[in-house]
Amino acid sequence: MAKKGDMLYAWTNDAEIKKKAELGGAVTSLWKYALESKLVDAVLVITKGVDLYDAKPVIITDPAKLKDTAGSLHCGTLLLPKLVKKYLNGAFDKKIGVTVKGCDMMAFYELAKRKQINLDNIIMIGVNCGGSVSPVMARKMITDKFGVDPETVHKEEIDKGQFIIEYEGGHKGISMDELEEAGYGRRSNCRRCKLKVPRQADLACGNWGVIGDKAGKATFVEVCSEKGASLLNGAVKSGILATEAANPKGLEIRGKVEGAMLKLGDKWRKKDFERLGEGKERLKKIMAETARCIKCYGCIDQCPICYCVDCTTKNPAYVPPGYLPVNFMFHLIRYAHIADSCVNCGQCEEVCPAEIPNALFMHAQQVELEKMFGHVPGVNMELPLLALVEEKEERSRLHNTGSDMIYENVFNPVPK
Amino acid sequence: MVESKEMLKYVPTTCPYCGVGCGLNLVVNDGKLVGVEPYKRSPINEGKLCPKGETCWEFVQSPDRLTKPLIKKDGKFVEASWEEALDLIVKKFKETSDKFGPKSLGFQSSCRTVNEDCYALQKWARCGFLTNNVDNCARICHGPSVAGLSLSFGSGAATNPFEDVLNSDLIVMWGSNAVEAHPLAGRRVMQAKKKGIKVIVVDPRLSATARIADEWIQFNPSTHIALANSMMYWIIKEGLEDKEFIEKRTKGFEDLKKTVEKYADVESIHGVPLEKVKDFARQYAKAKNAVIIYCLGITELTTGTDNVRSMGNLSMLTGNIGRPGTGVNPLRGQNNVQGACDMGAYPNVFSGYQAVALPANREKMEKLWFLKEGSLPDWYGVTLTEQINQCGDPIKAMYFMGLNPVVSYPDSNHVKRSLDKLDFCVVQDIFWNESCEYADVVLPGTCFAEKDGTFTSGERRVNRVRKAVDGPGESKYDWEIITLLAKKMGLKGFDWKSAKDVWDDMRACTPGQFGVTYEKIEKPEAIHWPCPTIEHPGTPILHKEKFSAADGLGTFFGLEYRPPAEVADKEYPYTLMTGRVIFHYHTRTQTDRCKVLHYEVPESFIQMNTKDAAELGIKNLEKIKVRSRRGETITIARVSNDVAPKVLYMPMHFAEGANNLTNTALDPLSKMPELKHCAVAVEKIAEGK
Repeated sequence: MAKKGDMLYAWTNDAEIKKKAELGGAVTSLWKYALESKLVDAVLVITKGVDLYDAKPVIITDPAKLKDTAGSLHCGTLLLPKLVKKYLNGAFDKKIGVTVKGCDMMAFYELAKRKQINLDNIIMIGVNCGGSVSPVMARKMITDKFGVDPETVHKEEIDKGQFIIEYEGGHKGISMDELEEAGYGRRSNCRRCKLKVPRQADLACGNWGVIGDKAGKATFVEVCSEKGASLLNGAVKSGILATEAANPKGLEIRGKVEGAMLKLGDKWRKKDFERLGEGKERLKKIMAETARCIKCYGCIDQCPICYCVDCTTKNPAYVPPGYLPVNFMFHLIRYAHIADSCVNCGQCEEVCPAEIPNALFMHAQQVELEKMFGHVPGVNMELPLLALVEEKEERSRLHNTGSDMIYENVFNPVPK
Repeated sequence: MVESKEMLKYVPTTCPYCGVGCGLNLVVNDGKLVGVEPYKRSPINEGKLCPKGETCWEFVQSPDRLTKPLIKKDGKFVEASWEEALDLIVKKFKETSDKFGPKSLGFQSSCRTVNEDCYALQKWARCGFLTNNVDNCARICHGPSVAGLSLSFGSGAATNPFEDVLNSDLIVMWGSNAVEAHPLAGRRVMQAKKKGIKVIVVDPRLSATARIADEWIQFNPSTHIALANSMMYWIIKEGLEDKEFIEKRTKGFEDLKKTVEKYADVESIHGVPLEKVKDFARQYAKAKNAVIIYCLGITELTTGTDNVRSMGNLSMLTGNIGRPGTGVNPLRGQNNVQGACDMGAYPNVFSGYQAVALPANREKMEKLWFLKEGSLPDWYGVTLTEQINQCGDPIKAMYFMGLNPVVSYPDSNHVKRSLDKLDFCVVQDIFWNESCEYADVVLPGTCFAEKDGTFTSGERRVNRVRKAVDGPGESKYDWEIITLLAKKMGLKGFDWKSAKDVWDDMRACTPGQFGVTYEKIEKPEAIHWPCPTIEHPGTPILHKEKFSAADGLGTFFGLEYRPPAEVADKEYPYTLMTGRVIFHYHTRTQTDRCKVLHYEVPESFIQMNTKDAAELGIKNLEKIKVRSRRGETITIARVSNDVAPKVLYMPMHFAEGANNLTNTALDPLSKMPELKHCAVAVEKIAEGK
């Protein structure tokens, strides 16, 4: 019986899944078991839309349909938890299994802290993520740098520091460094990301560290929670999944890959943050870039920290409605409300129609706040460092409770 | 019926607002529309949206959608069955046509609805009543582009795709506030600027677009030709013209040269210092690749067609056309303004701009449409606003599909008086609008989220529209309504079962779009027409080797500056310009039903210079009265220096607003009314009132 902390190789025994799945099909098998055994009511995963550059979310309740969703899409840049909040009632009325990347996992915690998602009803299977490439960028990169018609590509992956494609008539890999130096490659938030193995999910899966006769045929699974252990044990017991202890050498290799990715993340942080300058210079840059804002509210709509029904950016006393350029207070409000909890998921930047590097600005501030106060967002249920309160209301509430712990209970009503 | 129960179903489709054609995902839960999510796979906008696109799902399920046919009985609208409503329409239209002939009817198609609807309406008008009195609302936005660019280049469409500005060395935005009116085309300009490409904005107003420019050239309203001619004078004078291009690919240069000789210094007209004109001219002529992007600032004037041709002149003079990074690109206003024209909802052409005047074209269509030989009319039909003028005589009955003329056409009072003169009027729409009051029958159509079809964007890209949810109540697809009417009349060639059937019917008679099949536009790259064969990949850039005109040449025109029809005088001392805000679309029937858009701009306003405001004692955000010779309106003053003294700017979206004031004078060539320029007086509203 596996328990929290175990490191395993896992692969499927299901003939159907075996045919389509990558790396032993462990994740698909776990979900199949979870659905069949009613551990979850539905599974939320990514599937191919119009082609392999088009990742779309799909809710699956019929275990037979899971096999169509197998495999990873590195051009998928979705953030699933906000969809759970917006469209699936925050998982308050059903149990949902979700395959998550690092940013998804962190966003789940942040939304759960804010009572927007019921984490008790969520099972997360984490997958290692070295970053993702926006779909249009990927097609451009394949055309320009690979010299290949993106329509002819039938498989893409990111492995050993390379972006690799298989297409009609061959396969080709180019190092991510080279691509990114040339202005292609992963989203800028992904480059700075340092959450490559989602260990705060229930299980953390991936191909790093699968060596020997199991290479390419099994998935590396790190058991991260009791919930994860019981899912895995159930699947093994049902016969759909087989496991063995991970090769110690493989474990070492996995550590090295992760270490290399983290170093790369540090390199990009240094580069990106230094380019922003400091103090007034940084502020000036932020003001100049955000001056292009067209007030689409897309950043707020996609942000896993934002959830307020009455957003302060829509308070006319702060941001006068109906004007372009938008008052800088719009962005200041976002920084004040979010910066301590930003998980660098990159959505605000990717959807920005005014080409404002929103994620960079927010992430740069989060990193500073983390240095100052030590609060790490997205990895547990610890409440954020700062939180907005309506001052009058909060003072009177505190007065009534006799407590001065202003930040402690912003998201939790004070117990009587 | 759309299959229900499915949760978080993504339906990739095309935004229903402007002509950029952004892709977006409609999200459907259990058969209900619940939101919009980014469609990052779309090469047009990469998942990015403007405030309108972000919220475009909100109006769809409004409780006040039209759900049943309505017939006016004894002055009151009562619900009716489809059978009764359609029978009545057929009866009235046939009676009118039999009694008064084909010129007694008027058909008007929206540029907001899918190509398939537009094609169906014009086919019904032409087959059922042998009339060319069919037009669409492109007439009041880019009619001059179609006319002007056709005269200059042989094709009335944009020459290069939006993204192509990234290949340019100089971007000139002339009379275009893309950041607000076409935000995701504006984004391409922002991207270009970040890349280091110079951006010059030519606009009388410090618009949101002018704010992101490297250089803003402020000029007097409606003096485009004077400014362009002066630039061309200096380009020729300094020998900066592209002689080889002029020699090999154009005609009419001498005509141009002669005309511009009078324009060495016309600062007194356009108000731009001479040195600045020269500098601008040099920059445009010397850039390796320069592109002109223009919009309604150019077209909505009595000189609209000439203004457009002036842009054509500039580009040909300097050889800035037919290559990546160059061209002359009108930013089409509505999502399907390009398509509505392409479909032949136009008084002088069938689909694909096949002239009705050519016997061969009529003969071909008669065969394809099962009509008697020699039956299709050769005359130029009556245009959109002229149809309004002809209400009562000779036009007796009209059909409006997705239009709100009472608010969006110039001089609302005139439109109302005219519609009152009709014997019979049909309005087919998704909401009850101000024009419905003047109808005898109101029919419930379906909106973009409820039907399959296509929109053709301003870059001639045919984008798919996909059905996400069922329409409300008894509403029907708009093309389906037309089919039912046509069948009641016993017409052949209307046996369509799906939007694709309509599209294929159109393809069969439209050489330039024959190769644009639904299969080929399944992916968001879609196809730019012309695309004549199934194998053809489409044509992102026009006029590469030769122009589209019959002789393959571009044509220069010597054009004289003419002042607007109505200029400021003692009685009406202010010049009123009109335009858009990013938060609304046209008459707001859709956008005002989206919460945040209503919050941003709930009522009309007018921009006014600080100096004028001081003179009149008007404070920022004070309510004021604005009058013209045609009407008056009360609005809120926004006082700033974004407009010059004596110049005012007002958005056109509000029923109680700009079009109470605007002028109906027409551009002689394209019949575009002068929506962008009229003379008004401003009054402070007496205190206590």
